[in-house]
Amino acid sequence: MKTKSVKEPIRKKWIWIVLFINVVLIVPWYFPKGAVEPFVFGFPLWAFISTFFTLILGAYLSWLCISQWNIVEDEEENAKRKEDVKHG
Amino acid sequence: MDNLVFAGMDGIIILSVFAIVMLVIGYYSGKGDTNLHHSLSGYYLAGKNLGFIALFFTLYATQYSGNTIVGYAPTGYRTGFSWLQSISFMTIIIGIYLLFAPRLYVVSKRRNFVTPTDWLEFRFKSKAVTLLSIFLMLWGLGNYLLEQLVAIGQAVAGMTGGTIPYEIAVVVFVLVMLAYEWMGGMKAVAFTDVMQGIVLMIGIFVFLAGALYLVGGNFAEVTRFIADNEPAKLGVPEMEVSVNWFSMLVLVGLGASIYPHAVQRIYSAESERTLKKSFARMAWMPPITTGLVFVVGIIGIMLFPGLDTAGSEQLVGLMANKIAAINGFYYWMMIIFFGGIVAAIISTADSVLLSFSSMLSNDVYGKFVNPGATEYKKVMVGKIGGIIAIFFLLIIAWNPPGTLYQIFVLKFELLVQVFPAFVLGLYWKRLAAKPVFWGMLIGAIVAGLLTLTGYKTVFGIHGGVIGLTINFVVCIVGSMLVTVSAEKSLKKDELAVLELEA
Repeated sequence: MKTKSVKEPIRKKWIWIVLFINVVLIVPWYFPKGAVEPFVFGFPLWAFISTFFTLILGAYLSWLCISQWNIVEDEEENAKRKEDVKHG
Repeated sequence: MDNLVFAGMDGIIILSVFAIVMLVIGYYSGKGDTNLHHSLSGYYLAGKNLGFIALFFTLYATQYSGNTIVGYAPTGYRTGFSWLQSISFMTIIIGIYLLFAPRLYVVSKRRNFVTPTDWLEFRFKSKAVTLLSIFLMLWGLGNYLLEQLVAIGQAVAGMTGGTIPYEIAVVVFVLVMLAYEWMGGMKAVAFTDVMQGIVLMIGIFVFLAGALYLVGGNFAEVTRFIADNEPAKLGVPEMEVSVNWFSMLVLVGLGASIYPHAVQRIYSAESERTLKKSFARMAWMPPITTGLVFVVGIIGIMLFPGLDTAGSEQLVGLMANKIAAINGFYYWMMIIFFGGIVAAIISTADSVLLSFSSMLSNDVYGKFVNPGATEYKKVMVGKIGGIIAIFFLLIIAWNPPGTLYQIFVLKFELLVQVFPAFVLGLYWKRLAAKPVFWGMLIGAIVAGLLTLTGYKTVFGIHGGVIGLTINFVVCIVGSMLVTVSAEKSLKKDELAVLELEA
């Protein structure tokens, strides 16, 4: 199994740049102070946008975990399969 | 919540059922596993063999306590929409995990780590760093445990309408927790977390449904009410609030991910696949946990306008009373929900206690007092030490502090100071022991002093974050100046452990 490619999030700069931008967009520092209107689904606009980016953050992190992280997984799963075959 | 009149005897029945279920789970997780009490990683890390469901729920139950509901809804009530931050700061924790968990998992498997200290000892080979980090982590854990003990008593006394007084409630549930933890260690903790986590999740949904029912099912109505009566809770927050929001993201993200019991869940994973799947699911939990609790707090503004700080702390109890009065279904659901809150507090407390015990076993006793002891003896020392610690904390818990959220921030301030050593050490070989020690110490002193002198935040930035910044600077600048780096202090085979391709 020498063909494996190690995927580790820390080594990919774009992951952290996107993460940083996402976080900056969550905090409502860029709205004019005190603004309330308009309402979207009962949320003031700023809160709606902040929540939207918070949900994006969750989706992004969830996706990162699954697709950008693979260090020993192939090794472990292969070993497990062999183990199963032995006992199976 | 001492005005919860809806429960009484029914509450006692539900609580007893929950307690029995926990004990049964604890009994069966320990049964037949003779190895459990003879191995540190067997008892404290479930043999490093937790599957997806147990790992996910134990991560969930550890991160979200009963306080998440009882404490966060009132905060949402008092601060308004800027409490949306509670969703983002619980989400960012997963982002911080991605910084270090992938590699730490691999290293921990290779070297069979039991506690976070094992990693720091391996990496820095410095008694000073080891001791200081043990102190900071035990301090943080102790404080966290104390907070849970206070919360258990308040929740039970509230739920049973004072039929079970505060002190007895705490003692009974602590005994239940000690019993199942004694029998099954981490396995018992993780399996009870599955039950506790499910009850909490369902409870939050039903609670929100009941709250929405009370305001006529229309959330827009609620915001209109707030706009007319308390527009400040609705408007774009002041700049200082935004700065504080950023600061919370840093403090909670770094602090919660580095919690000893959180780190030990990385060690406990059966495989990398299990671990990353659990984290991927955890990233979706904040919106349906702290997010729903936030909405509950906002609805509270309309249902109970004008409560002061102390009054608002009772918000969840007040709302539960109203919801229970809707009909029989909601009545029983509210009792189960309150049982769920107690269960959720226990599920957090048990993880913290187990981690506390493991550090007594493996770090204090195993590294400094009696390194030659058998693992059985080490496990025993941790178990008994944990019980002694609990009863010491109980004495303090009889005088509970004011609001729950205050102590929540306090415990992070010191604990988070372990972060630079923990994470920088994984990737930067120049990071040296001496600067790490001084960074940690100075950071902790600055954070502690700022908090103690009433400067919990400066221009919205938490004392813990200021201490952490100084800590990072000392670590990095110091390591550039010092010549003893990891290349010299670690042997060749030890360095290889840190390399992934090796």
